[in-house]
Amino acid sequence: MMPDDAMTSATRIVGRSVPRMDAPGKVTGTALYAADFALPGMLYGKVLRSSEPHARLVRIDAGRAARLPGVRAVITAADVPDVRYGGSVKDERVFARDRIRFAGQPLAAVAATSPDAAAAALTAIEVVCEPLRPVFDVAAALAPGAPLVHDAWASYTALPILHRDGNVCNRARIVVGDVERGFVEADRVFENRFTTSSVHQGYTEPRAAVAQWDSSGQVTVWSNTQLPFEIQTTLAEILQLPPSKVRVIVPGIGGGFGGKLRIGVEHFAALLAMKTGRPVKVMTTSEEELTAAYARQPATVAVKTGVTNDGRLTAREARLWFDTGAFAGSGPGVASVATLMLAGPYRIPNLLLEGFAVYTNKTNFGSFRAPSGPQANFAVESQMDIIADALGLDPLELRLKNIVREGEEGPTGQVLTAVGLEECLRRAADAIGWRDRRPEVGRGKGIACGWWTTTGGSSGVYVKVNPDGTVALNTGAAEIGTAALTGAAQVLAEDLGVQMADINVVSADTLSTPFDFGAQGSRTAFAVGNACRAAVADLKRQILALASKHLGVEESALALREGSVVGAGKRATLGELARISQASGGGLIAHGTFVAPPTPYDTKRVEGHVYPAFHSPSFHAHATDLSVDAETGEITIHRYVVAQDVGFAMNPAAIEGQIEGGVAQGLGQALSEEIVYENGRVLNANLTDYKMPTARDVPRVESILVQHPSLVGPFGAKGVGEPPNIEPPAAIANAVASATGVRITSLPITAEKVALALRELAK
Amino acid sequence: MTRIALSLTINGQTHDVLAEPHRTLLDVLRTDLGLIGTKENCLEAECGVCTVLLEGAAVNACILLAAQCQGRAIVTIEGLAAPGQLHPLQRAFIDHGAVQCGYCIPGMILAAKAYLDTNPEPDGDGVREALAGNLCRCTGYQRIIDAVLSAARALRTSPPSQAAR
Repeated sequence: MMPDDAMTSATRIVGRSVPRMDAPGKVTGTALYAADFALPGMLYGKVLRSSEPHARLVRIDAGRAARLPGVRAVITAADVPDVRYGGSVKDERVFARDRIRFAGQPLAAVAATSPDAAAAALTAIEVVCEPLRPVFDVAAALAPGAPLVHDAWASYTALPILHRDGNVCNRARIVVGDVERGFVEADRVFENRFTTSSVHQGYTEPRAAVAQWDSSGQVTVWSNTQLPFEIQTTLAEILQLPPSKVRVIVPGIGGGFGGKLRIGVEHFAALLAMKTGRPVKVMTTSEEELTAAYARQPATVAVKTGVTNDGRLTAREARLWFDTGAFAGSGPGVASVATLMLAGPYRIPNLLLEGFAVYTNKTNFGSFRAPSGPQANFAVESQMDIIADALGLDPLELRLKNIVREGEEGPTGQVLTAVGLEECLRRAADAIGWRDRRPEVGRGKGIACGWWTTTGGSSGVYVKVNPDGTVALNTGAAEIGTAALTGAAQVLAEDLGVQMADINVVSADTLSTPFDFGAQGSRTAFAVGNACRAAVADLKRQILALASKHLGVEESALALREGSVVGAGKRATLGELARISQASGGGLIAHGTFVAPPTPYDTKRVEGHVYPAFHSPSFHAHATDLSVDAETGEITIHRYVVAQDVGFAMNPAAIEGQIEGGVAQGLGQALSEEIVYENGRVLNANLTDYKMPTARDVPRVESILVQHPSLVGPFGAKGVGEPPNIEPPAAIANAVASATGVRITSLPITAEKVALALRELAK
Repeated sequence: MTRIALSLTINGQTHDVLAEPHRTLLDVLRTDLGLIGTKENCLEAECGVCTVLLEGAAVNACILLAAQCQGRAIVTIEGLAAPGQLHPLQRAFIDHGAVQCGYCIPGMILAAKAYLDTNPEPDGDGVREALAGNLCRCTGYQRIIDAVLSAARALRTSPPSQAAR
């Protein structure tokens, strides 16, 4: 293990590229995932989904299906409590009851002795419905006289701060200064419109859950959720049980990227298991993933920005409309975050920014790694280049002139600290060779920058010293692949003076592990790491008090070093002390907690906002060098550079892995991925036609880790997981424009789109 | 449905299984034999998480009938190295940070194994081509490519004794 940076010479374990703890199990195939989980006597559940996007459900008859061989239960809305649930708006039910709102909405579920028997039973369920006039996109949903996706929207329970109206389930707004005055002060005003498509998280493990009830009336659900405690609450609501009767365990997760935050198949498994008295497993198909999961919201973005001739931004009025689909889901929150992203990491004195979450007759879109980030960033960072070109300014210089700096305010008035943005921009630009921006015909370089949050929420850990001196880290957070729990364990090992090999992690069981806000929002290593620091502080007090008594040495003369307490020429190992405590005091154990301190902001600037400030924000710049084939429009990426301010690089190799993977996923959204809808139905609901990047498609990504330490994060760390997903579409669009003069304003930037635009330009 | 008696040679051991003729190798491996290192996802040979070796070639177990595999040697991730040992590919994947969520990794390693067996001196482009049928959504592939190239070097200098059955 080599130190990666001179900064870390004072540390043993944090700041070093320690191998992730769970790698051996994963490379040998012994690591258990939820999709692998099975119980004796287990049945297989499948879900019947609507083929109609908007209809009145007249009748559903499961009689014939229930009599088929191997079928043990068929359930519909009539068999489950009539409960509406949901995060910020309670607008969703387990099964459609009288109204179908999207093609893919669950109508019934079957449990059978094999997946084949369950699938056969689905085809035997008779559904009668009468189609209703649908709204397939935001424009249709907002048109005067548009049908309401939820007639009774006003009666739904919802967060009181939301601004709801008909098909709009939230309008979040930021107002600063006076945009009209700002536009008057401007020499030029630019208005542009951008659109993005829906893209799927693309985790390789389908969503899966196994549920089993016990004789006490408790249900245990083994699921690959990122948020076991939220799933516990939601299941309790759906099943009408106290939360203590619902236990959620995460055996292992094959990728989430936000797609496994909200309830997926857990409720179907639990309801079928209740009905049959047998354990039931439900796992999604690729078709279900692409038609009825929580893909990224398609967006329409209108940006109007005023600027002086020398490139000073004076005002921005921007609106972003998310198609949130048939239910609100994450939409109201994501629309809120979008407004902060529309401001960009820029100092703009006058702002009017609005984010809308709009109901349509499509699947309930959700949270995908940096939700709202790529859509908003594609729009505002594309426009920055449009402005620079029109004013004859270098796009890098335009950005440097306007970026936020240390101590300045964010759009809602939060005071920004640890702002490493200028360094990110300059280092990314230098690395890509920015001075030579158009090295040859058809080749160009592009740059884009942004900021993002480290999500708050609370985390608790129990840290226990075992009788052999090793240490158990018990956390409610799930390891979704980011190595965040390896990062937290590094913090623990560093502070407690033990080795990585001494630490065992137990995680994500709502009954036995302490609460955690969950693996979301780039927060896990940050928050669990800090909870570990708190636990070690408590544990050290316990250890030193015990050692003092045992060794007969004053506490002040003792120190914890390399797994032992030493002082006054005496020594006691952690193992010895743990055994003494087990014999006399119940063992050495500490409960460490952390909650991100609130980030003060100006409440007068926001309305309908559920995410008004970015905690410990990170800053980043992406630069790319690419060529465009003049005939085919095909894009070849020569180089891709990311400079990201990570605060403190807890585990450089793991962070680089996050950057490389986030860019690959972002390039998918930028270049090839799109869930294609026609009249509310998905045309490409399989992995042959939904094109994710393969090993042949992703370029080598060069990472530059910039470190402006956060005041809050462990050792100064900031959240790192989501940001790399934000800038790729804008960086690619800007490089394509630089290479060809063609400005593509919709995602994905396919070769066909570029070729057509090139032909148009040549006319 | 009528079941047929199958005799499958997996990781050097013979397994006798009664299974319906339409069942896939993937299903039999996971459900009947508990060999869950072979993963399940798209079931249409697009993602590669179910990759196993059939007579040394990388195949998608999700579209292969178990009945087609009788009398042919199958290797799954569980059989790549002796228990407690790591194949050089497995070692390299750990050392290069090529693993994140890990769900694609067993298939990825076996696809790489099949490729290296016939291409012991690969270059990066060759490895990218060989792994293009295995989707990974976490890593961006670079560390996987680096790990395979590194394992190829290790295998050339010291072939594993227990492994590579």
